[in-house]
Amino acid sequence: MPEASRSAIAQPPSFAAFWLAETLRLRESLWGPLEDAREVRRVRSEPLSFEQKILLRGRHLGKREGLDASIRNWSAAARLILVVLCGAALLAGAGAAVGALGDGSRQVNILLALAALLGLNTLTLAFWLMSFLVQGAGGAWLGESWLWLTRKLARGPNATLVPRALAEILGRAHALRWLLGGVSHALWAIALSAMLLAMLALLSARRYSFNWETTLLSPDVFVSLTRILGWLPAQLGFSMPTEAIVRASGSLQALPEPAQALWSGWLLGCIVVYGLLPRVLALFLCLAMTRRRLAGLRLDTSLPGYAELRDRLAPASEHAGIDAPAPADQPARKAIHAPPDQPLDQPILVGIELPPDLAWPPGPLAPGVADLGVIDGRTQRNALLDRLQQHAPERLLMVCDAQQTPDRGTTAMLAELAGFAGQAHVALLGLYQGREGRGAAWLEQLQAAGFQPQALHGEAAAALAWLAGEPRANELAGDQHVEP
Amino acid sequence: MSSLEARPQSDHGGRPLRLAVVGHTNTGKTSLLRTLTRDPSFGHIEDRPGTTRHVEGAHLLVDGAVAVELYDTPGMEDGIALLDYLDQLAPAGERIDGPERIRRFLQSPESKRRFEQEARVLRKLLECDAGLYVVDGRDPVLGKHKDELAILASCGHPLLPVLNFTRSPEKRLSAWRDALARLGLHAMVEFDTIAPALDGEAQLYDKLALLMDRHAALLRALKEDVGRQRALRRADALRLVAELLIDIAAWRLSSEPSQEALRIATQTLREKARARENACVQALLKRYNFRRQDFPSHGLPLEGERWGMDLFHPQALKDMGIHVGKGMAAGAMAGATLDVFMAGLSLGAATMLGAAAGGLWQGADKFGKRMLGRLKGYQEISVDDQVLRLLALRQLALVQALEHRGHAAQTPIELPGEFVQKGRPAAAAPLVAETPPLAKPPALKQNSDALRDARLPDELTEARSQPRWSTLSDDYENSARRKEAVSSLANKLAAMDAGTEVRPAL
Repeated sequence: MPEASRSAIAQPPSFAAFWLAETLRLRESLWGPLEDAREVRRVRSEPLSFEQKILLRGRHLGKREGLDASIRNWSAAARLILVVLCGAALLAGAGAAVGALGDGSRQVNILLALAALLGLNTLTLAFWLMSFLVQGAGGAWLGESWLWLTRKLARGPNATLVPRALAEILGRAHALRWLLGGVSHALWAIALSAMLLAMLALLSARRYSFNWETTLLSPDVFVSLTRILGWLPAQLGFSMPTEAIVRASGSLQALPEPAQALWSGWLLGCIVVYGLLPRVLALFLCLAMTRRRLAGLRLDTSLPGYAELRDRLAPASEHAGIDAPAPADQPARKAIHAPPDQPLDQPILVGIELPPDLAWPPGPLAPGVADLGVIDGRTQRNALLDRLQQHAPERLLMVCDAQQTPDRGTTAMLAELAGFAGQAHVALLGLYQGREGRGAAWLEQLQAAGFQPQALHGEAAAALAWLAGEPRANELAGDQHVEP
Repeated sequence: MSSLEARPQSDHGGRPLRLAVVGHTNTGKTSLLRTLTRDPSFGHIEDRPGTTRHVEGAHLLVDGAVAVELYDTPGMEDGIALLDYLDQLAPAGERIDGPERIRRFLQSPESKRRFEQEARVLRKLLECDAGLYVVDGRDPVLGKHKDELAILASCGHPLLPVLNFTRSPEKRLSAWRDALARLGLHAMVEFDTIAPALDGEAQLYDKLALLMDRHAALLRALKEDVGRQRALRRADALRLVAELLIDIAAWRLSSEPSQEALRIATQTLREKARARENACVQALLKRYNFRRQDFPSHGLPLEGERWGMDLFHPQALKDMGIHVGKGMAAGAMAGATLDVFMAGLSLGAATMLGAAAGGLWQGADKFGKRMLGRLKGYQEISVDDQVLRLLALRQLALVQALEHRGHAAQTPIELPGEFVQKGRPAAAAPLVAETPPLAKPPALKQNSDALRDARLPDELTEARSQPRWSTLSDDYENSARRKEAVSSLANKLAAMDAGTEVRPAL
């Protein structure tokens, strides 16, 4: 992989990487997994954590599937919408200012104007603050309605995935409400700034007269209201109408010019302090929180779609290859040791490596048969070979346990022993019981070693009859010979 | 071509631990590697001698770094003859130590002919730090095994006998224990590669650490990592099951009241539910790194759909209230924005109107279609409670089977009979709650009791009233509430499952 992308991955993963991976996850969970053998192989060789590997796989696959382009398109559209919204906010703010102040031909009702300029702003700010109190709903409804809108507007299947993935990541990082809050506060701040500028322009260029009206309330209410509202702006240097001016404004007569200037200063101060400042503060809070939450962004690797990838991307083990190719088979062959001129001795029965819990001998022995017992281990083996060397039997029956694995050593020994006898047969106990694969392996190995199929018995009784030299039983044994 | 490349890095102080897996032929050496590496594709397994004929390596990784190098070796097949040959190479009068004798053998001509396989094993064991001597616990202890052990022991490295097939009825474990102790091998570990105990690997690494003090830290790290990965797998698996249950519980199909339409809708419902279950099974197999064919899919005995709507389920009503409230708020804001444009002249009127419209709209968007359907006499079909219970039990049984399965296992996974109705998926009414609790395996007793008889978990009851929670539905929505429901349901499943772990008596 190129050096550039390696260094990019070494840094903390970018938000775009999370977004891409999540989009891919949603896509795979909705429409089934993608073919990713090549990407997985590429990712697996990187010395990265599982989380980073998921992100890298997302990047490779996302590029292949064009999801990154979908994200870019959607981001561009989202940015465009944001610009349009900013424009709308500017217009709305300025429009509100124009609407509230009018064209100067009529008197401006100061409290109604204030309510029109700040009322909605205060209301939505209160909504936002209250959303912290509601558990679960937690401001996400803004995001939910936005998502709902994108679902209605989006074209093409990938396009719906992109915002959904965004909402999923942000929601999981608990950053969604802060981000959406930030956007909304920014829009409001723009609207309020536009409103303020428009008012400054209007108040500078036109002559307005302010008053207040009431039918029900006493003038004292207005006096105290003005004082309470104006106290905070006054601390910041905005003008505050004196009590006399407030009382005078309630009558119908026109006020002197400085009084109008005082009122307009008071109005501007109220908008700055109760409108713009809280919004700007909330905006900074949202930005800071979004940044903090995104800095702690982690992949939830237990999500369906990520969890199954663990053994493929970060396997617990890896193959390391072989030392050398396997050698060719070297089966043991039956050898002839017995000198042909030597007279053959009595028949011999011998058990080869039988388990101790097996009854021995396997059946009643005919007279004249020598029972040499069960042979296990080197000394017994050598002793047996010595004896056979001296007294080669006419017939040799070797009894084996077919439930064991026929290994090369045992087969070789059987072949060697068989070489000493005139005739050598093998009885495989338990050939047809238990694990059948092993019985088949015995037959195969013994035949490869040079035993004829009729020299292999599946039952002890038939084998012993052969050993006793009964011609009838011999035939019978011949009939019951195991099939290769 | 020789390709046993070492990847030389490990965080645990120096080079990785190298272990050779040795033993008589056909005792399950490759199986042990498969189970330890959790990789069913490693090597080749067959019930016959000499299946593995070369040394094959695998690395166990901890956090991506190689912690242990494991080497699968060919089986020892000719121990008795080899010991004879060794004596022949180094007569009794000559006093040379074991490793030197082995080295001498490796230079001899027979090491490339008759004892080629054994030579590979010994060469690898000389290079390694220790050997795992795999024993088929069903075999009798024979002279050839003792000779083999004598040869392996003369390599001068610690040997840890690993008793395989310990769950088999024909096992001869006590005979093996006695024989191994007589040979001076007192530390040994039982590890069934087909069905390993849950803490089997931990025991294995513990015993190894006893033998190899120098590598104890690395083995502890490996053991802890194995435990961590196991917990992680389990949590992931239960989450997959929880997602499945929520999906199925929440899913509903609307159908015209005619007989034919109902039949088709029922059919669709069953097919999709089965497909969804199968997807979950595949994900679980993938998570546990088993192959697809390890669990032949059994049709979910789906019988029993629920008719009628949960429109007036208390939770649905509560939810509707919340949604209308949200709609109102949104509408109020829309109206208020209108007021701004109209410069506050109509302050209030538009807001009120907007609120009403918003509330109606939100309510209509969410419930309108269903309301309308109800007025038209449409029926809504969903999967019955009993099917849900069965589904949960089956998936939990599968998770348990996967946890207890070794990667060497060749036979398909079998669930207890009551969860599978082979061949008759459309039978009369095979509801799990009505099946007599005959052959209930003890492992599943407790969780089945909780899922069988008690009330359905609250999360599922809630999902019933939330059609959008189902990924099967067209307007699937992963709301914050659904996420909470999935994770708390997964926790409940974990709690139900936790009490059921049966420890094999050792």
